[in-house]
Amino acid sequence: MAFAAISTAFIALFLFGLALLIAREISLVIEQVTGNVEVAVYLSDPVRSDTVARLESELQQLPAVDSVTYEDKEHACQRARELFKSNPAIIENVSCDVYPASLRITLADTSQYAQITAALSCETDATGKVACAEPGVLEVRDYRDILDRLSAITRVLRNGVLFIAIIMLASATVLIANTLRMGMFARRKEIGIMRLVGATNWRIRVPFMIEGLVEALAGAGLAIVTLFLGKVFLVDQLRSQILWFPLIRNSDVLAIAPLILIAAAGVAVVAGTIGIRRFLDV
Amino acid sequence: MISLQNVTKTYRNGVTALEDVSIEIEKGEFVFVVGPSGSGKSTTLRLLLREEEPTSGEVYVAGKNVVRLSTLGGIPKLRRNIGCVFQDFKLLQDKTVFENVSFALEVIGKPKHVIDGRVPEILDYVGLGEKLNNYPDELSGGEQQRVSIARACVNRPLVLLADEPTGNLDPNTSVDIMRLLDKVNKIGTTVVMATHDQAIVDAMRKRVIELDKGKIVRDQSRGVYS
Repeated sequence: MAFAAISTAFIALFLFGLALLIAREISLVIEQVTGNVEVAVYLSDPVRSDTVARLESELQQLPAVDSVTYEDKEHACQRARELFKSNPAIIENVSCDVYPASLRITLADTSQYAQITAALSCETDATGKVACAEPGVLEVRDYRDILDRLSAITRVLRNGVLFIAIIMLASATVLIANTLRMGMFARRKEIGIMRLVGATNWRIRVPFMIEGLVEALAGAGLAIVTLFLGKVFLVDQLRSQILWFPLIRNSDVLAIAPLILIAAAGVAVVAGTIGIRRFLDV
Repeated sequence: MISLQNVTKTYRNGVTALEDVSIEIEKGEFVFVVGPSGSGKSTTLRLLLREEEPTSGEVYVAGKNVVRLSTLGGIPKLRRNIGCVFQDFKLLQDKTVFENVSFALEVIGKPKHVIDGRVPEILDYVGLGEKLNNYPDELSGGEQQRVSIARACVNRPLVLLADEPTGNLDPNTSVDIMRLLDKVNKIGTTVVMATHDQAIVDAMRKRVIELDKGKIVRDQSRGVYS
């Protein structure tokens, strides 16, 4: 019975941790692909610093805009090379000159994207390309769509796994509570004598609560170890195959370990409360 | 020492086990509670232990109103002052004689040096000084009941409650157990014993409280069974 409780706690906490890691992984991907930039305003060559300053302050004043950062050609090139690290052919054959400088914008209100195109007097042509009349502006790219889609995927995946994890956590709680109850039933004679000779409720309960806590924490420990091994043997194998793709690191697994332990403690407390309550009355 | 004042106990299923019962028991008394099955003997003992609450009336043990005691501290403290002996001994089969008795001190947090001092002393007192390391199934019924009396007395209670302590024993063994209870009573412990055993009650000539259908029908000092 204790084995069943520990293994259910393990599976539940493993899925819980997996959900957190999936969310972390997808946010890494989003970060890498878009730099969390929702709109990019590419500037035409040659870039003049007074044009940059003018556009920057102009965009900053729009209520829809949250922040504007300037990325010069050199940075754009570095970022591209980072992205194509595994494909030296691209890096060798494309000179740094072709990467345009840009103003990278995050939006305070993504639905107000039109403010930006209006401010720069842009027109969308038949191919979907946004050309602007504003001097110095090459093109405006709208990344909201990609961001939206990626976050939708994140949400579905994370919520799905979290949903399963919550059901598993609930069953782990019930199983541990049951184990405690069976333990108390097996020792009902001892408990009866303890009550009779004047042992306090706490003296009677604490060993069982510790048992529940140990079972939950054992499950948590196994879950953390399994997630770590999964990271080492699966994720790290992938890392050498797809270099351009950002993958979770040891520190990410380490960061969710306390959350798993807290969830385990929560399971133990709830299980202890429902498992022991029936035997509470002195 | 013990006082029941106009106590009525009606169980949830509607059975009235005690009806307007008043009993006063002084410190150091030895009292038999007799009567047929269902007359309310066990209920009386359970009320004193605060395993049940009276439906109405007051129950005092050692000057404390047991109804007002808290589950957290008050009730355990009350029970540390009351020893209990039962017909079925209630010994733990996987523990030795010594461990059965020391268990009662361990679970109320007595330090080891107290346990190591008191347990052999009380086992010697009940005549089991040689059987510390035996298991209950290696003992006779009378010896098992002695272990249970030792466990009830090891914490030096003010009151000893005995519910049919001779119910499982043959007449000769019963007499030995009664001698032991008398000895415990002689050192100042108040003893309340519920019993069916006519021969014992008649032989002891102690105070007898007779219950019938939840009412006191007789309260006689130096009485006999009927």
